[in-house]
Amino acid sequence: MPKVLRVLLWIAVSLLGALALATIAFHRGEQINALWLVIAAVCTYAVGYRFYSSFISAKVLVLDPLRATPAERLDNGRDFVPTNKWVVFGHHFAAIAGPGPLVGPVLAAQFGYLPGTLWIIAGAVLAGCVQDFVILLLSIRRDGKSLTEMAKSEIGRVGGVVAYLAVLSIIVILLAVTALIVVNALKSSPWGTFTIAMTMPIAVLMGVYLRRIRPGKVLETSMLGFVLVLAAIVGGQWVSQAPTWAAVFTLTAPTLAILIIVYGFAASALPVWLLLAPRDYLSTFVKLGTISLLAVGIVLLRPSLHMPPLTRFADGTGPIFAGKIFPFAFITIACGAISGFHSLISSGTTPKLIRGEKETRLVGYGGMMAESMVAVMAMIAASVLQPGVYFAINSPAGIVGQAPEAAATAISVWGFPVTAAQMATLAHAVGEQTLFNRTGGAPAFAVGMAQIFSNTLGGQAVMALWYHFAIMFEALFILTILDAGTRVGRFMLQDALGHIWKPLGRTSWYPSILLTSAIVVAAWGNFLWQGIKDPLGGINSLWPLFGICNQLLATVALCVATTIIVKMARAKVRVGRARYAFVTLIPLFWLVAVTFTASWHKILDPNPRIGFLAHASQLAASGGNPRLIFNDHLDATVTGALVVMVTMILIESTVECLRVLSGSKTAVTKETPFVMTKLALEEQA
Amino acid sequence: MIKRPCGADTLVREMPAAKVDKARPTEMLALILRACQLLSEAFREIFDESAYQRFLDRNHQESSPNAYAVFRQENEQSKSRRPKCC
Repeated sequence: MPKVLRVLLWIAVSLLGALALATIAFHRGEQINALWLVIAAVCTYAVGYRFYSSFISAKVLVLDPLRATPAERLDNGRDFVPTNKWVVFGHHFAAIAGPGPLVGPVLAAQFGYLPGTLWIIAGAVLAGCVQDFVILLLSIRRDGKSLTEMAKSEIGRVGGVVAYLAVLSIIVILLAVTALIVVNALKSSPWGTFTIAMTMPIAVLMGVYLRRIRPGKVLETSMLGFVLVLAAIVGGQWVSQAPTWAAVFTLTAPTLAILIIVYGFAASALPVWLLLAPRDYLSTFVKLGTISLLAVGIVLLRPSLHMPPLTRFADGTGPIFAGKIFPFAFITIACGAISGFHSLISSGTTPKLIRGEKETRLVGYGGMMAESMVAVMAMIAASVLQPGVYFAINSPAGIVGQAPEAAATAISVWGFPVTAAQMATLAHAVGEQTLFNRTGGAPAFAVGMAQIFSNTLGGQAVMALWYHFAIMFEALFILTILDAGTRVGRFMLQDALGHIWKPLGRTSWYPSILLTSAIVVAAWGNFLWQGIKDPLGGINSLWPLFGICNQLLATVALCVATTIIVKMARAKVRVGRARYAFVTLIPLFWLVAVTFTASWHKILDPNPRIGFLAHASQLAASGGNPRLIFNDHLDATVTGALVVMVTMILIESTVECLRVLSGSKTAVTKETPFVMTKLALEEQA
Repeated sequence: MIKRPCGADTLVREMPAAKVDKARPTEMLALILRACQLLSEAFREIFDESAYQRFLDRNHQESSPNAYAVFRQENEQSKSRRPKCC
């Protein structure tokens, strides 16, 4: 294409993006079409990818197409395999896409669609994509080392320990909060519980088919499993209408929590590959399919957003979680904008598959853009709901009351009209007994998704099927995160305990497996139990805690990245300059401001709905449950400990950078020596 | 009145662009096929089918229930340490 045309094209894309952003930012009083959000996101991502990621590739990281990657040098056909960039892109996206970008935006929609959408788009382009891209490349230049190993070797011992503890904490909190989402989605829902229960025998059948009948034909098996799951969803309707069976599958929150805790322990400690591996495949299959379907549904239907751009809850009095837009919108939406957890994937499997350094741009930066788009779709799904319905589903009983009429009145008084009859009709349409007080984000997302799907395909008659399909989709892959996360936590704990007593570090020694599995499950199980016993619904305290953990991990990743970029410039390993470290420094400053302010509020804010300690004092004064008081103190301690640890890594990283910049320390990076690529040259030839 | 075929008196019919138009469907088809192939490869990688094929190639084995059982054991050891993102 001629240069003039290219310039004109990019000017057009930029102008269209600006117009879309202006439309969503300044439109007041009337509903806007969801496509404006999609256009704003796509145009901003396109400009960010074309120009910003190109600048980072050329000037900051100085990608070297002639340098052999670990996938080429260490190719063993197992962990290190040179793979096509689009295949790695798909693999990376499948690994980073979880429930976070779906749930976070739904919860943050209590502020209106505008703050969350702007943060998702800007945060991804300037922070999240940069973090994933830079960490991926740095890991590739270190033979695929993990974030913890890089922190230890490039910053110091404290860095390594802090990164390790931050990862372990985030895993524990993540598992608790995701388990809570499943509990809240399935409690008193015989249809949903039956469908999820059926995924277990279906997975076992898949396992037998995969092992005995068609070894290795995973895609074929997953398709068969998917058909069976669809049958289970249809069967769930019959179960929910048959009084005897409905009673069996109508479970309370504590019962579901106990079942999930037992499941987590069994999945970690027992050799249940027959169940876990096929279910993991099934979950990935459903996840990728549903996300694509949602994208198609939004583009085809072009729904209007009923949620206003800004609600009255920008003042911090929100019913879903208390706190003002700054900092709480920015920790509520983590995965769609920037997620520290991604740095674990970018320094895990993905760097061992990349064929050439240039491909890290597409996989790292581009993969996060795709994840961010999922978050925009979740924001749309939440915002197509009538605000009254959205708040009725997401507000806990502790805020709006248990009785439908009382809850509807409370929400209507806020300025979001809704009636108990309207909610009853909606609950009937989606095949549930009630939709009030279904906190956690998943039910609201499922209702929004069901509305989009049913208007695209099948009409209102199949809305209940779509709703339960959405619930099944969320619960299924949250449960795979639970079993995978518990095992990863168990391995991490075994690695650490192995330093104290060697046998504990042996991953095949059963007493060690049982002990470490029990510790990890007890840790997240405790937070889960705390969540279900919380009169405010649990999400109010646990989701911000999860957001803080996740963003603190991103702070650690950005510290590592900044230190290495400064060292690279000083050591003249690349021609990049130290001042280019701004690409990671700016998001680092932002995250420090966000996480430290949020932590301060969560620990010390005098408002009992925000501050853990104020809530504990309020409970103590009113003779409240000692267990709830202990939980508040525990939450405050965990938050405080994480902040102290991240402060330590910040100080160590700053000192390291200053010493290198002032010349009092020789800059030495731990990159593996340059080896000329053969793959790229062969391809060129 | 003489009926002329649509566009018969325009220059477009005589322009070499017609050649490009003939070539385009083939190029487009090749592009679509390549995209489908890449999608299929991505799915095979995500769902470990490629990993199983590499395992068979590495060990010079044919696919069988026993071979798959050994592959799964080997695969689980590395896979179980991978975190799944939130």
